Amino acid sequence: MTLLLQGLALGVLTGGLYALLASGLSLYFGVMRVVMVAHPAFLFLAAYLTYTLHTASGLDPLLALPVTVPLFFALGVAVQRLLVARLAPENLPMMSVLLTFGLALVIEGLLGTVYTGSYKSVSMDYATRSLTLGAVRLPYDRIVAFAVAALTLAALFTILLKSRFGRALRATIQHREAARLVGIRTERVTGYGFGVGLATAAVGGSVLALITPFFPAAHWAWIGKLMAIIVVGGLGSVLGAALAAVMLGVIESLVLVTVDATWATMMFYVFLFLTLIARPQGFFGGRLAQRF
Amino acid sequence: MSEIVLALNDLEAGYGRAALVLRGLSVTVEAGQVVCLVGPNGAGKSTVLRVASGLLAPRSGTVVLSGEDVTGLAPQDLLTRGLAHVLQGHSVFREMTVAENVLLGGFTVRDGALLARRAERVKELFPVVGERWGSIAGLLSGGQQKQVEFARALMLEPRVVLLDEPSMGLDPRTTQTVFDQIDLMRRTGVAVLLVEQNARRALETADVGCVLDLGTVHISGPARDLLADPRLGALYLGGAARG
Repeated sequence: MTLLLQGLALGVLTGGLYALLASGLSLYFGVMRVVMVAHPAFLFLAAYLTYTLHTASGLDPLLALPVTVPLFFALGVAVQRLLVARLAPENLPMMSVLLTFGLALVIEGLLGTVYTGSYKSVSMDYATRSLTLGAVRLPYDRIVAFAVAALTLAALFTILLKSRFGRALRATIQHREAARLVGIRTERVTGYGFGVGLATAAVGGSVLALITPFFPAAHWAWIGKLMAIIVVGGLGSVLGAALAAVMLGVIESLVLVTVDATWATMMFYVFLFLTLIARPQGFFGGRLAQRF
Repeated sequence: MSEIVLALNDLEAGYGRAALVLRGLSVTVEAGQVVCLVGPNGAGKSTVLRVASGLLAPRSGTVVLSGEDVTGLAPQDLLTRGLAHVLQGHSVFREMTVAENVLLGGFTVRDGALLARRAERVKELFPVVGERWGSIAGLLSGGQQKQVEFARALMLEPRVVLLDEPSMGLDPRTTQTVFDQIDLMRRTGVAVLLVEQNARRALETADVGCVLDLGTVHISGPARDLLADPRLGALYLGGAARG
């Protein structure tokens, strides 16, 4: 029972990080129909930048965010304007897979050249301590990571739901041509949407650096999980992605403590296939058929 | 003669490298007038509206809005000059509320009080919009969604509204409501350029009719005269108008 509770608690904490990352991925697809395979590669790029700032100045990973978030926002706008916008619109989802796959390889190559292929990590003194709640022990670094992910998600939803930019972005997602006809400059909004997506990767990268060691090729293990999450949540639905992420994070963690690591990872794909068979539009909104 | 609010002159337009869809088409719309474009599928009716609203740049010809040459301007620039376009099919933002949809019609307006006044006005014009103000737009019936689109298009108090097949997919009763509201727009001084498959119904509402064929205006004139014109029957109504 203790093991299950421990698994459940850690699952929620990990699910929070998944939710943040999957929300970014969902945003790209919602706004542009772009399958952003390079999202986790940018995540690890942010982790390495955080590592560099930490080793150079002892900076806490969270204090790297004022540097990495604006940088990645600008990088996202540039990637959209200079690369993605040039893809043929009729084949955008497929071509975007090829383009962003290439981007992921370039980032991995650069990271390998600069940092070598060995593991790096950022170690803060609070990472070794944990909070004990009854029989459950929660590492402080995981709690901090979850809190940052949750706050970022809350900020993202507030922007999407309450701001003028958020309304323009949602309108662009839901009907691009109608959005143009109410005066929204959809190309600009799309660029900013991409920037926001990559900014979530910057936050995720700093958080990731805090909780786990990493190496340049580690991003490949993430893309399959994140893709499974956004399909289960409903492609293009940011809220759906967040909910599915927490759900799958908990399931992964429970299977990890009760069965083994292989089956834990497998659960993402089990739910992916179940979703495609039973409810291809996803469980929390989105319309897979229409959006492809 | 009333002021011409929209003049499309010698338009040639097409999609990508494909053949021209519009071949030297000219249409004018006067203030407070409903001009209806009818014609067979592929005649270029919707393309006329897409060029007029800036969604598609013409290869040649001009678009003149209230005396200003606006050829090639983007939709948002035409919107602020008084031209609104309601697309074919359903184009509400499905996962937003009716309120969000209507208020997005005033996206370019920063004055909250002005937006609120405009919203009250369109709620009066389209009572169902007020009744369903907090509902998710995608859950409304087809006719209700169309009225939300009309309300959204009127938020900037346009001088001319382009309507693309507004009765498509609607039952006869709802179609009647939609045409009543087109009539209402005319009575409030808004000019309407209407594309409609339901040619007979559209010509009964319009002041002027233009029959398109192969990307050009084949016949034009007062709408009621066109209904009785045997050439229209031969071209488009399958001879029904001859009787």
